[in-house]
Amino acid sequence: MFIRFTSEDVSAQNQVKASVQRRIRQSIAEEYPGLEPVLEDLLPKKSPLVVVKCQNHLNLVVVNNVPLFFNIRDGPYMPTLRLLHQYPNIMKKFQVDRGAIKFVFSGANIMCPGLTSPGGVLDEEVEIERPVAIMAEGKQHALAIGFTKMSAKNIKAINKGIGVDNLHYLNDGLWKMETLD
Amino acid sequence: MAEKPEAVKVLYCGVCGLPAEYCEFGPEFEKCKPWLIQYAPDVYPDLLKDSDGKEVDKVSDQMQSTSISAGGSSTSKPEEVKRLPGGKVKKKDKKEVIIEKVVRNKRKCITTVKGLELFAVKLSDASKKLGKKFATGASVVKGPTEKEQIDVQGDIAYDIVEFITDTWPDVPESSIFFIEDGKKVPAA
Repeated sequence: MFIRFTSEDVSAQNQVKASVQRRIRQSIAEEYPGLEPVLEDLLPKKSPLVVVKCQNHLNLVVVNNVPLFFNIRDGPYMPTLRLLHQYPNIMKKFQVDRGAIKFVFSGANIMCPGLTSPGGVLDEEVEIERPVAIMAEGKQHALAIGFTKMSAKNIKAINKGIGVDNLHYLNDGLWKMETLD
Repeated sequence: MAEKPEAVKVLYCGVCGLPAEYCEFGPEFEKCKPWLIQYAPDVYPDLLKDSDGKEVDKVSDQMQSTSISAGGSSTSKPEEVKRLPGGKVKKKDKKEVIIEKVVRNKRKCITTVKGLELFAVKLSDASKKLGKKFATGASVVKGPTEKEQIDVQGDIAYDIVEFITDTWPDVPESSIFFIEDGKKVPAA
């Protein structure tokens, strides 16, 4: 998704009107209830909220030049990894085993066996097509943000193929884009 | 959830920008090692073990030499380190004027000039001058991310280079760029 993502991929950016801001804020609050107390700090009502449109139907929510959330088409808003590192408990978590880390680092999708092996942990409640944080065995912080292609139960049952789509991972283009201008 | 969850402070490697614990999977783990030994020795205990004795000397020598090359004083060092990972900050320091033509209605277009402010040019003055010279509307527009640029109506892309270099001698022609098909093309 963000493998090669630079400011040149930005096709339009505009400060959105208040009603759109409200909608974005609301959908983020719904998606991540744990984030609600700090939402006011993250997306202050006063400061302008900029939505950056990029190729592939990708939107970034930018406040003070810092990308905070992204979404695809009308999908759910997902936090960037830098934000997730600050508030790690807002998302459901999956954990991959150590062997998978280096593949995830080069942008690979998360395959089921990496999640079901002894080093992996699955949150059973996760349904299909939900955003999840990908943690890694023996590591404290998240290394990627993904979108489930199967429900957690199916991942366990089928144990084959792509379990989670890798959307945003450490050291990809979005990660390197600390600020946007 | 009445209480605010505290924001977790994550230790990011000063060399590659990743969280320290992921350096080993980063592109240049070798380069990160000296930094890790100094700032995050508890993340990679093996690293310290490996580099006991002579190695430590070597590493500290290395650290010293890098700090010397970075300007000698220890205060300038963190700045230097911070600048490296994205490569973004460095770019920003480069002074250049970027001229872009935006086609509006098939036959109408707008020429935007970015970066003049880096040459200590007052944008409002500049827009006035541009408007006068080309007899069109010219205005200072605040970009959505707080960056100001000048919009000039009409296609003046080629005349504008000469005009800029004439009016503001501080701006060298070599630092003026056009954007054509999303690519930067030097004007000179």
